[in-house]
Amino acid sequence: MNPYVPTPDVLPIPATAPLFEALLHLTFLVHLLFMNALLGGGAILLGSLFARGGDRELHEAVIERISKLLPTLFAGTVTFGVAPLLFMQTLYGGFFYTSSILMGWPWFATVPLLIVGYSAIYLNSFRGRRLGGGRRWAAAVAIGCVALVGFAFSNNTTLMLTPEKWSRLYFASPGGLHLNLGEALLWPRFLHMALGAVAVAGIMLALLARRERTDARLREALTRRGLDVFLAATVVNIMIGFWYLLALREDVSRLFMGGSGHATGLLGLGTALSLVLLLLAWRVRVVPARSLKPLAWSTLLTLAVMILMRDAVRKGYLAGLANLHEIPVRTQTLNLVIFAVLLVAGITTVVWMVRRLLAAPSR
Amino acid sequence: MNYPVWELPMGGGVLMALVSVLHVFVAHLAIGGGLWLVVAERSARRRGDAALLALVKSQSRTFLLLTLVFGAITGVGIWTTAALISPQALLALIRAYVWGWAMEWVFFIVEIAAALVYWYGWERLDARTHQAVGWIYFIAAYMSLVIINGIVTFMLTPGGWLENKEFWTGFFNPTYWPSLALRSAAAAAQAGLFVLVTAAFLKRGDARAEEARVWATRRGAAWVAAGVAAFAAALFWYRGALSGAIPDWADLAAGAIPVLPRVVALMWAGAAATFLLALWPLAAPRRWHPAGAVLLTASALVLFFGGEWVREAARKPFTIHGYLYTTGLRVDQEPEVAAAGVTAFTRWRDPAAATPAERGRDLYRAWCLPCHTRDGYNAMRPFLGHRTEAEIVDFLPRLQHMRARMPAWHGNAAETADLAAYLATDADRGAAVFPADRDAAARLAWDAHCGTCHTLDDYRPLRPSLAGNTREDFEAMLDMLPDLAAEMPAYGGDPVERGHLLDFLTGAAGADPDRSAE
Repeated sequence: MNPYVPTPDVLPIPATAPLFEALLHLTFLVHLLFMNALLGGGAILLGSLFARGGDRELHEAVIERISKLLPTLFAGTVTFGVAPLLFMQTLYGGFFYTSSILMGWPWFATVPLLIVGYSAIYLNSFRGRRLGGGRRWAAAVAIGCVALVGFAFSNNTTLMLTPEKWSRLYFASPGGLHLNLGEALLWPRFLHMALGAVAVAGIMLALLARRERTDARLREALTRRGLDVFLAATVVNIMIGFWYLLALREDVSRLFMGGSGHATGLLGLGTALSLVLLLLAWRVRVVPARSLKPLAWSTLLTLAVMILMRDAVRKGYLAGLANLHEIPVRTQTLNLVIFAVLLVAGITTVVWMVRRLLAAPSR
Repeated sequence: MNYPVWELPMGGGVLMALVSVLHVFVAHLAIGGGLWLVVAERSARRRGDAALLALVKSQSRTFLLLTLVFGAITGVGIWTTAALISPQALLALIRAYVWGWAMEWVFFIVEIAAALVYWYGWERLDARTHQAVGWIYFIAAYMSLVIINGIVTFMLTPGGWLENKEFWTGFFNPTYWPSLALRSAAAAAQAGLFVLVTAAFLKRGDARAEEARVWATRRGAAWVAAGVAAFAAALFWYRGALSGAIPDWADLAAGAIPVLPRVVALMWAGAAATFLLALWPLAAPRRWHPAGAVLLTASALVLFFGGEWVREAARKPFTIHGYLYTTGLRVDQEPEVAAAGVTAFTRWRDPAAATPAERGRDLYRAWCLPCHTRDGYNAMRPFLGHRTEAEIVDFLPRLQHMRARMPAWHGNAAETADLAAYLATDADRGAAVFPADRDAAARLAWDAHCGTCHTLDDYRPLRPSLAGNTREDFEAMLDMLPDLAAEMPAYGGDPVERGHLLDFLTGAAGADPDRSAE
């Protein structure tokens, strides 16, 4: 037993751990959709802002559409990031806090980075063309900040899985200046996330193209651009996925190679799904008029599988250290019901507001 | 103890205070401002005042940027910082109130979505729907306060929760309602501040635009004045609730926590300045000026800074009053620590630590650093600089008797020696120099010794006992302190310091009012 793993808190959790796990995965899925559209969309935006040649009209269309969306995507990423962070802390708080403290300054830096990034995104969105050449730099700062926040998260979520490293880092320097750069898992994990984001944003661009009703050529070009991005990012990401698999600690990697039916099944399903995604994307790439729905839904399913795989990795690393079923439970049924009712009412309200907004013509 | 402690030169508490005060400042504005926008919009539409509507629209853009970019992200920042500074407390708060946080999160989503739809809806939604969205925003924002207020007040006055650990018992704790009244009033005042600042910096337009600006300025000023007045009234209610919930509140207010009377005064000063400054735009809205807006913002910041600090100071030395110390130790663990010693509860011990001072450093990090720094906030060096290692050994087991409401030190003799060895090296002895001014030197000598546990006239007052004694009497008394009371440590000051202290005591015995210690 590692002596630096914190003693579990004595206070019980107010519902069974599987319920919090389900909430964690569900809210993380929504966060991931927003985050992917934000980070990946930002990367596509930068591609068009910094492009020197190519189809100028297409670039302008990409810039206009994505810039308009980014502030809302940022808001969605943050608001839907809070919930999984809450549920993850409910279950794994001890591990997460220790790794956060070890990387105190880089972790704290996520706050100013988010403020600067968010401000720059609004600058790009509200001022847009009036910024002239400065626009590309505003966007670069914004997306750079978002990427750095993502990198800090990758550092933290890998460091929390390796308590054997903690004491060496802390006693070398207790000032909170560490990252987890020596971790084999760090780069494949971060790149897998980042490229996945670019791929998902490619689909978002293709979906946005469907709203272009007047210019058929532009609609087709936007669709193709989105799918090209998706295909390229996914092909590379499949390889990074294998790098990720090879980088896993041996005992955890074995889980995905037959050691655990659950983990192996998820890996098989994830791999199969990524191939299906390539096929589905290629079909629409060839004939852009085809429906994007099968591709979009399959992508959602793939993200869900990836989240479960990520969870299997976490459980593998923390096996014997974090036993969720041992956390004492004292159910608060009334509060659970209140939360559920509020959630349904809240989502209904948001959907109502957004539908009213989208249904109204711009005056 | 359970977690590593982040070594920050200025102290974790300062970072936490910075993030949380800035967040709370904007968060109250985000609640009150939402009400202002929807009320002002309705008024503009009823009056058919296009200029006023344009003003409200322009305000809503600033509002969106301020609340979403700064308000929401600093809110996340509080979580981030709390995890770094008080992990044990944060985990306890999450375990006890995860459904509360989850409910608040739902309102957070609705609030953010409504803010965006309200802004983007100016040109797209009909007037009725647009205002409905504005109301949804305000209700969601206010409900966030309704929930967060329960958890924040729980930390200071958990009440019956300490016995039954029931969610709603802790939530509707003794200070819940007065605190909600305080924060509601503060939100109204912040809305007025928002109006006054935006109005002051607005580009001057035609006569109609100017009339709209004046209309908004006068109302903004009224909101600030009324909000601060209501805040002041609610403070009395809050103080009553506090004194009922914290049995030794009277001692705390009298100086048992030295900083508390000062931050109470700071809060009142901020409230008074904010109120008085608001009278300017109320009386002469046309002459309202950006410089006034800057001053008003600064005074409101002082009010918030003081108010939040009062709450924090009154909670010492707990993060959850009566349940969890700032060190991360639960109150119910104290007998266990007292029996087993602190080392068994110090998880982060360097395996390479070999000397007493090195072992003491690990104890210092675990048990002192959560609240103190060497030279920053709650600095230890000025205090330790006046003590020898032997004096520190003597003093450590008496920490709980200090004025500053320290938790007891449960180290055994060896652990106490280790900690003292580290503190003595850290003390940088020799830095204990005294200023040339004799009064200042005398005051310093008092603060470093007697003043750590006593005041002259308020909490544990010494002046009555000093009266009528001579310098020679005090000389004798200093040598027999442990005989006067078991809690008193022996005095070990060097001759220079002793001289300064005797100066102070002699002056105080002569009832010289200029030398009041508090």
